Amino acid sequence: MIRLQRVSTVGPWIVVAARVLSVAAALLVGGAAFAVAGYDVPMLAGSVVRGSFDSLFGLEDLGLLFSPLILTGLAAAVALRIGLWNIGGEGQFYAGAIAATLTGLNLHGPTPVMLPLLALAGFAGGAAWVLVPALARAFLAIDEIITTLLLNFVAVLLVNYLCTGPLRDPAQAVTSASARIPYELPPLLDDLHWGLGGSVALVSVMAVLFARTRWGYEVRLSGANRHAARYAGIPVRRRLIQVLLLSGGLAGVAGMLEVVGTVHRLQGGISNNYGYLGIMVAVLAGGVPFAVLPAALLMAVILNAGTVLQAYGVSNYEVLALTGLVLLFTAMGERIAYYRLSRPMRA
Amino acid sequence: MIDLLTGVLSTALLAGGVLVLGALGEVLAERVGVFNLGLEGLFALGGVTAIIAVAHGANPLAGLLAAIVVGGAFGMVFAGAVVVLRANQTLCGLALTIAGSGLASAAGRGYSGQPARAVFAGVAIPGLSELPVLGRAVFSQNPLVYVIWIVLPLALHWLLYRTRHGMNLRAVGENPAAADAAGVKVGLLRFGYVVAGAAFAGAAGGYLTLAFVPSWSDGITGGRGWIAVALVIFAGFRPLNATLGAFMFGVITALGFVGQARNWPVPPAVLSMLPYLGTIACMIVPALLAGRTGQRLMAPAALGVPYFRDER
Repeated sequence: MIRLQRVSTVGPWIVVAARVLSVAAALLVGGAAFAVAGYDVPMLAGSVVRGSFDSLFGLEDLGLLFSPLILTGLAAAVALRIGLWNIGGEGQFYAGAIAATLTGLNLHGPTPVMLPLLALAGFAGGAAWVLVPALARAFLAIDEIITTLLLNFVAVLLVNYLCTGPLRDPAQAVTSASARIPYELPPLLDDLHWGLGGSVALVSVMAVLFARTRWGYEVRLSGANRHAARYAGIPVRRRLIQVLLLSGGLAGVAGMLEVVGTVHRLQGGISNNYGYLGIMVAVLAGGVPFAVLPAALLMAVILNAGTVLQAYGVSNYEVLALTGLVLLFTAMGERIAYYRLSRPMRA
Repeated sequence: MIDLLTGVLSTALLAGGVLVLGALGEVLAERVGVFNLGLEGLFALGGVTAIIAVAHGANPLAGLLAAIVVGGAFGMVFAGAVVVLRANQTLCGLALTIAGSGLASAAGRGYSGQPARAVFAGVAIPGLSELPVLGRAVFSQNPLVYVIWIVLPLALHWLLYRTRHGMNLRAVGENPAAADAAGVKVGLLRFGYVVAGAAFAGAAGGYLTLAFVPSWSDGITGGRGWIAVALVIFAGFRPLNATLGAFMFGVITALGFVGQARNWPVPPAVLSMLPYLGTIACMIVPALLAGRTGQRLMAPAALGVPYFRDER
């Protein structure tokens, strides 16, 4: 008789294989659901691939989605390293965008000076947005999931308030948006800006920071076993706060790049769910910085599919539902990977 | 002043009802040790189901029932993942929120912005509705309000603290291995109460779109699911406290509405932020105070921890 048996450890390749198979299974189930709803699924899948990879235009679109997803994914992944869930990427993204917009509209200087300054402002904005949840988590053990998430709603309201009120550009009749920020990121291709290069560079910096520095080691140890870390003399509380601030800051930089590089104005809705999708990127990547790149690319393709498929009557919402399915299957696959079929020995 | 009081109280009871239903459902799930972060998605699914049902001729009660069934059905998917497969509860909850919100918006595309075809309308109770303030605020509400604020909280309190079954289910959330050894069916209770909790959340969505708003639009849940989750922690995982907490949040929400209607000199955006900021304050302030006195209502000890019999 063959039976299921649970094992306590599995090799890294099995974990990777489980991820890939989970995503594939989710896409299959999602595709089947679309087929039941009456869509021509192979045709849709074909147009997604063509729309994303077949032209420079499509690749640029993909790149513009890729870059913020890398950073919001990195933000969530960094928090996962110390065992925390930063679900507030969306709010921190907006806070970074607000800070960068305020800086860009009020400070004047040469572009090479201003761009780093704007990035710094974005980082500071995102970090400030997560400060209260970070302190509450470190000193009062208050669940960071809920506090970071609730601040997303506050950030959305704040952006809408600023864009319809104090920051509103009277020249913009149709949409409520701020005035144009007078600084631009240098282009990589026509529309694609160097934000992508910056995002990839930040991934490398984080990878080195976590794998090669004492600080990174202390964070990983605190994430693996808080009590052991404390016993070893690591200031766990301080590391928790630092990591959450770093996480919020990265999401803030994503907001800065979006508002300075892509949209050029602060307006509602610019986050495009990047904050939430970043959580998925981080989960798919298992919290490993370099793995954020392929995971963010996958999410960018899925998100881009939403745009491509609108021509066929599929809305963003179906695509959002599909991403939820991917997350669910990933979570289940993670557990299934620990089961083996085995033949128990006869006594 | 009397008008203001009546308006706030009336809106608080109406708006807070969503939170009571959601929070009571979450209390059930968390008491058996499962953290359901999918409430927001279940609210959306329940809400859109109820709207679609009444648009096709169902009466409001049938619409609410449909919302409960759909909430329970998605709860089974969630419970299958976290109780049977023992997958990560945080991830599956987020997945349920994201997939549920997306699915609900996709399903509700043709119904967005239209008023609900049938609603739970207010009923003035003869005699009592003549009372000053309370008459209009309490005794002219839709009948569900009494079930939500009085019947369900007392019933759950009785179930949890006055019955053997309730003791068993709390034991499952505190120490599943001990409960298992005592012959309590851990998996079954977990599955059952997670599904029941999800059905409550579906009902919360149905109540939102048939009694409180009453219509469907994208993002109508507006974080209420998350506020309900926070409320449970704030309430120390107790049904009666959760109900009191929901009333407090209802008042905060109502102040925002009333303030906008009366043109208070505060930007509407700030008033709309109140429920979220209030929730965060409600999580932090008691913890700050408790930090000094050391009094804190603890979470069920096995909350969020999957139970494997072989690791006993």
